[in-house]
Amino acid sequence: MPLLELLNIKKSFGDNEVLKDISLKVESGEVVSILGPSGSGKTTFLRCATMLESIDSGIISYDGTCAYEITEEKRYKADAENMKKARETYGLVFQNFNLFPHFDALKNVAHAPEHVKNVSKEEAKKEALSLLEKVGLKGKENLYPYQLSGGQQQRVAIARALAMHPKILFFDEPTSALDPEITAGILSILKELASEHMTMVIVTHEIDFARKVSDRVVFMDEGLIVEEGAPEDVIDNPSNERTRSFLNKLK
Amino acid sequence: MKNNDLTSKTFRFVIAIVFLVAILVVIQINYFHSDKDKKQASKRTTFTVGFDAAFPPYGYKDESGEYVGFDLDLAQEVADRNGWKLVKQPIDWDSKDMELKTGSIDCIWNGFTINGRENNYTWSKAYVDNSQVIVVKSDSGIEKKADLKGKNVMVQTDSSALEAFTGEDADEENKALCKTFAELQQVSDYNNAFLNLESGSADALCMDIGVASYEVEHRGDDYKILDERISSELYGIGFKLGNTGLRDEVQETLDKMKNDGTFEKIAEKWELSDFVCLGKPGTDEAYKKDKDEKKTSESGMFDTVKELAKGMLSSLLIFVFTLIFSMPLGLLVMAARRSKFIILSTIAKVYISILRGTPLMLQLLVVFFGPYYIFGMSVSSSYRFYAVIIGFSLNYAAYFAEIFRAGFDSIPAGQTEAAFILGYTKTQTFWKILFPQMVKRVIPPVTNEIITLVKDTSLAFALAYTEMFTLAKQIAAAQASILPLFAAGLFYYIFNFIVAFVMSRVEKSIKYNIM
Ligand SMILES: Nc1ncnc2c1ncn2[C@@H]1O[C@H](COP(=O)(O)OP(=O)(O)OP(=O)(O)O)[C@@H](O)[C@H]1O
Ligand SMILES: [Mg+2]
Repeated sequence: MPLLELLNIKKSFGDNEVLKDISLKVESGEVVSILGPSGSGKTTFLRCATMLESIDSGIISYDGTCAYEITEEKRYKADAENMKKARETYGLVFQNFNLFPHFDALKNVAHAPEHVKNVSKEEAKKEALSLLEKVGLKGKENLYPYQLSGGQQQRVAIARALAMHPKILFFDEPTSALDPEITAGILSILKELASEHMTMVIVTHEIDFARKVSDRVVFMDEGLIVEEGAPEDVIDNPSNERTRSFLNKLK
Repeated sequence: MKNNDLTSKTFRFVIAIVFLVAILVVIQINYFHSDKDKKQASKRTTFTVGFDAAFPPYGYKDESGEYVGFDLDLAQEVADRNGWKLVKQPIDWDSKDMELKTGSIDCIWNGFTINGRENNYTWSKAYVDNSQVIVVKSDSGIEKKADLKGKNVMVQTDSSALEAFTGEDADEENKALCKTFAELQQVSDYNNAFLNLESGSADALCMDIGVASYEVEHRGDDYKILDERISSELYGIGFKLGNTGLRDEVQETLDKMKNDGTFEKIAEKWELSDFVCLGKPGTDEAYKKDKDEKKTSESGMFDTVKELAKGMLSSLLIFVFTLIFSMPLGLLVMAARRSKFIILSTIAKVYISILRGTPLMLQLLVVFFGPYYIFGMSVSSSYRFYAVIIGFSLNYAAYFAEIFRAGFDSIPAGQTEAAFILGYTKTQTFWKILFPQMVKRVIPPVTNEIITLVKDTSLAFALAYTEMFTLAKQIAAAQASILPLFAAGLFYYIFNFIVAFVMSRVEKSIKYNIM
């Protein structure tokens, strides 16, 4: 059973049909990269998958729990309990981090486990400290977001997502707001997570990274998945014309 | 930040110095100004008469919006005969001495009682004999003075009636009578007084017989005047102490008008024939005594401050209670305003628009008198304070609601989305994520609003609630000095200084920056 199952997702903003008919299945432990030109709908797709945006039609289910099934015949939305279950399955690291500015790094990571999952204060703190160490922020626990660099903020954001123990993590362009040197650090954290069999869906422009870390690459254009497969096939040997021209521009 | 701190401290220090210097300068001017005006006699072209525009039949605004009245007709005739242009200047009764002293009016001609003020003005001869009487509702059961025991009695600020009860020259009988009242309240005009009487928040009004007869006649059978009187008194025209030149010119003209019958004619027109007394024996003592020297006793700064301290407490109470109630209420209104339920958000929108779009003073009157006029409930006098707090809280809640809303709207949507992804409930998201960020954002506009509130507390006078500023005006009137007003100014300034200091502390105590 796939951990994430998205079927026939459609989404329009007014007349603008952004997602035309997208289906994606992600198995447990898999790392999927989504590539595609600007405006092709990658962010919208992530936002629909994480339920920040409502879908017009399609099926969303996580770990066997169906959250939405909106078709011509029926409009199903999971009850509160199942919805909670589905939503606990995933986490999201935002492109611009969205850290809470009024919490220091430690509290950014520890607050949600304590207040959402009812983990004890000490335990939440202990785990937050070890997560911050893991992302390389030992000693920065008590700094506020405005006192951290972009790369450091990104690390806190990753630690904050991990603290909720999601089974699947979404990243929207985890490195786009950072300069190349810092990017390398973030990429190595993602690689480490991959080696720990964390399931991840990553929207990225880093072809190299996509090649190294992903089990599968999905190429999106104009609201459709035009090509998907193993990185060596899609990136090094694309069969689709649009994929080829996109990759050529990047090289 | 540090640098900024330093300059703002220096800045405040400079402001405080400037303020003090200004006070000293004004005091100086106040003293030197006194004897300058004798010189400016004969070449007069205008004649400015100060009057309380709500004092029929002597001077008031009629239906067509004209200032008319017995006194104004007399003044017109005097001005015409001397070739002056008459300027009818309605004044705030509490400020009459200030107006006269500064020369913005030439005289007070407005059913102005001589008794008790003999030494404070240069007087014309008395021209109306008036008495203080008691007005009650016809069905109130009050028939004689003794029935006023335990009742709320209302008089106009600095009026003869007030003087008759509490002034230095008040006779013992009246002082004793006054002690039997539940309360002796002061209002700034007679319309307000009758509103109070009608709504039940006052049981009796004391006022001049001329005004009383006029009001009772025009307001119908609901009111009556008691037979027992409080005092008799004389009306004259009050000029600035020492301004005998102008006084003599006016008096001469009046005497001529008396001789050729014009004076009587005008009195008849205003149905005051029974009251006029110009030239009657025994009525011109104040006019004769002249050649003054006697200055108003300026009581010490210390006494004034002690007096004012009482008012400060009242102002402080309004301030504190308004803050306590209006902030949470503002939050509630804001929540309604942002609600998805159109009915709720529309109600909040209308609420905000009305409370921000109409004067606070009007709202205070509505809160106080509304229960009577809308629901026929009688309004007790103790409701006065609550009405002030309710009025202020409702008004400030509207402003705070908008400030809070702007604060929330300025928080990036990403904060709510991050909270959603992490699984916070809506309530948690509001209180733990958004609210603290909103607080940080709104501190500067809220500080502005609080500083305005400090100054706005003075509006409570609209409900005859004696706070700092009303008291200062009363003392200033009694002492014919501007000092109490400056003391009041200093009080507000220091108060706001503290507010600004506390708020900057609060702002600094919030350690994070908003991105
Ligand atoms: N909230 C919205 N309202 C209206 N249109 C939107 C909204 N969000 C996205 N769009 C439109 O949807 C289309 C896809 O946008 P999206 O952000 O998903 O692209 P993207 O693939 O993430 O691009 P990029 O690589 O530049 O981030 C764009 O045409 C965009 O204008
Ligand atoms: Mg995007």
